[in-house]
Amino acid sequence: MGRPVKAETIVLWLCVALVAIAGLAPIAAIAIESFRHNGHFSLNYYRELISAARFWPLLGNSVRLALATTAVCGLIGVPAGILFAKSDLRLRSGFMWLLTVPFVLPPYFVALGWARVVARIGQSASDLLFGFDGCVLVLSSVFLPIILLLTFASSSNVDRRLEEAARLVSGWPGVLRRVTLPLSAPGIVFSLVLVFLLAMGELSVPSFLRYPVLPVLSFTQFTASYNFGAATAAAVPLAFIAFVGVFVESAFLRDRDYRFESTGQTLFISLRHWKNPWAVLMTAVCFALVILPLAALFGDAFSPAAMHQAMQRAGASVVRSVMYSAVAATILMALGFLLGHAMRGGQQRILNFLTLALFAIPGTVLSIGLVRLWNTPSTWFIYATPALLILGYTAQYCAVTTRLSLAGLMLIPVSLDEAGRLSGAMWARRLFRISIPLSARTLVCAWLAAYILCLRDVPIALMTAPPGADPLSARILTLMANGAPPMIASLCLIMAIASLIPLAILARVIPSRGMAR
Amino acid sequence: MSCIDVDRVSKSFGERVAINQLSLHIERSERLVLFGPSGCGKTTVLRLLAGLEVPEQGSIRIDDRVVASAGKSLVPPERRDLGMVFQDLALWPHMTVQQNLMFGLNARRVQKREADIRVREMLQRVGLEHRIDAKPHQLSGGEQQRVALARALVSRPSILLMDEPLSSLDEERKRAIASDLLGLQSQFGFTLIYVTHDRSEAGMLASRVCQLRDGRVTDATK
Repeated sequence: MGRPVKAETIVLWLCVALVAIAGLAPIAAIAIESFRHNGHFSLNYYRELISAARFWPLLGNSVRLALATTAVCGLIGVPAGILFAKSDLRLRSGFMWLLTVPFVLPPYFVALGWARVVARIGQSASDLLFGFDGCVLVLSSVFLPIILLLTFASSSNVDRRLEEAARLVSGWPGVLRRVTLPLSAPGIVFSLVLVFLLAMGELSVPSFLRYPVLPVLSFTQFTASYNFGAATAAAVPLAFIAFVGVFVESAFLRDRDYRFESTGQTLFISLRHWKNPWAVLMTAVCFALVILPLAALFGDAFSPAAMHQAMQRAGASVVRSVMYSAVAATILMALGFLLGHAMRGGQQRILNFLTLALFAIPGTVLSIGLVRLWNTPSTWFIYATPALLILGYTAQYCAVTTRLSLAGLMLIPVSLDEAGRLSGAMWARRLFRISIPLSARTLVCAWLAAYILCLRDVPIALMTAPPGADPLSARILTLMANGAPPMIASLCLIMAIASLIPLAILARVIPSRGMAR
Repeated sequence: MSCIDVDRVSKSFGERVAINQLSLHIERSERLVLFGPSGCGKTTVLRLLAGLEVPEQGSIRIDDRVVASAGKSLVPPERRDLGMVFQDLALWPHMTVQQNLMFGLNARRVQKREADIRVREMLQRVGLEHRIDAKPHQLSGGEQQRVALARALVSRPSILLMDEPLSSLDEERKRAIASDLLGLQSQFGFTLIYVTHDRSEAGMLASRVCQLRDGRVTDATK
């Protein structure tokens, strides 16, 4: 008789199967589709794509945009993250959460805000916004929080005693350069790679600001021409770049996965007479990147007539958005926790790579794959319902909840679970009685983060929602073509409120770090 | 109560050999102290016996059952009928003292009435019946040690493994808990395997001391 299969193994494989169905199968479907022409193996789509006059310029534009966005975000985000984590800067927590706001909104909100700003200035400003420069500005404000928060988290986690040891022989610049930054490098490099890949796959901002990039080509081939083969062939390079990016990041992080005994406190630098100048500088950054565009966007959102019209035209989308995001967040929270549990048990590398690659793949690519895979008569119950959308969210964002859960689980001593085992408890009992109660805060954070990400998502919402049942982020984008600006502003405000409430809760739930002199 | 046979067991972690062809026989109700410097493999021996690690070579037998053999765990930890006091005590911080003790009894499906009686008796035995509703962080270091000991023993295991549980206590508290432990051992008759690098603890508790160095037994004294 064979050995009985453990419940733990069954649950893990079910989770892996869900990730495979939601994310890997669609990518495989795209890859296969791109090599088929009239039912036969063919490289026709690739030949056409590569020989098309616009492919290389579009690819070049995508890479240029991603590099410029990453550079700007890195130049602002890394110093700001260190400053917020390690200094006694006034209002640092307020600055950090304010700079996070653009990331929790659909990316085109900031573009729309800037469009309102430049409309008041004149044509020359408009020429600057609509094009490469405008895209870099908008995407930099949208993705800056990724680098900022990950730098903040990585440098806060550096063992205080290591910095204290360096402080005995060096001034603060030396400590930051020789100890803090090298030990925070894995988190910082990860955030830079992530921003590069996300900027590479961004659809809504370049298409709104009329800057031609590869995801827009893939999207138009899919929606306007309904040419699956050409759309998938255009999507494959994006998927390939995402996989390579994640692979490079994983290779860099190998042997650099520093883990520290938390001392519960972080060492900090006293800015002394630089306190006020730094605070003024950060206020200026917040004003330029967040307050100015969003104030311009929401400026005329408060009129009762606009609000009434907004609810009339998109009230159902608001409800749908919240509902879909809540359902997806619940699935993502559970999936992330179980995968995090498995990864803590040692099956880390492959699961980490797969989930991260799915996060880095552009939403347009994933959506084309999902439609290709499930658009068959026998699977209409998925294709024609919100299930497809939920699958898309699950694949794209499970890396976030998995990493959050893993980080939370790493803080729980292994001996607590081992003590449960020796007390005679099976896996499920230990999970429900020990791991879950001790991870309550992590689970709340994971749920809120997943909810925000699903709510703000544009490409998956736009391409996989069933007809007539689109979520708000997609609905606003379609209404922007012919809707009155005050109504659009009101809809954006409603969307922003739906995103900012969980962000405010998240800010309360995440414990603030103690500071030590 | 159990006797244990460890037969030519080896265990490595990457390049580092933790246990190297270790053989050991432990009699029923014996109080064996594994003594040695940090990194000599003492904790690994306990974890192998508990089933929390699997030996790469050799076998482990508890009574008549082979519980682990060359790369395979044949009996999972929860079925080996042993209790363990961890170095960091591993008290579940979200549970009260009573819930910490009840957990194992519930998992083993002991009737609620019977479980209640056992928990109260055990807490009385370690002098903590008045702290039954406290959570671990509300207890002193010595009280936490006693709860960990009570939790390990409340299921009445035939083997008790202890991984340097007294290392953080002062000499007076160490003596008090060691004396409690000896009383409990003579009352319940379990086999005690105790790991330490402190010669005075070894002297207080052992009926036999095995010295470990580089993953091997180098000396055994009664």
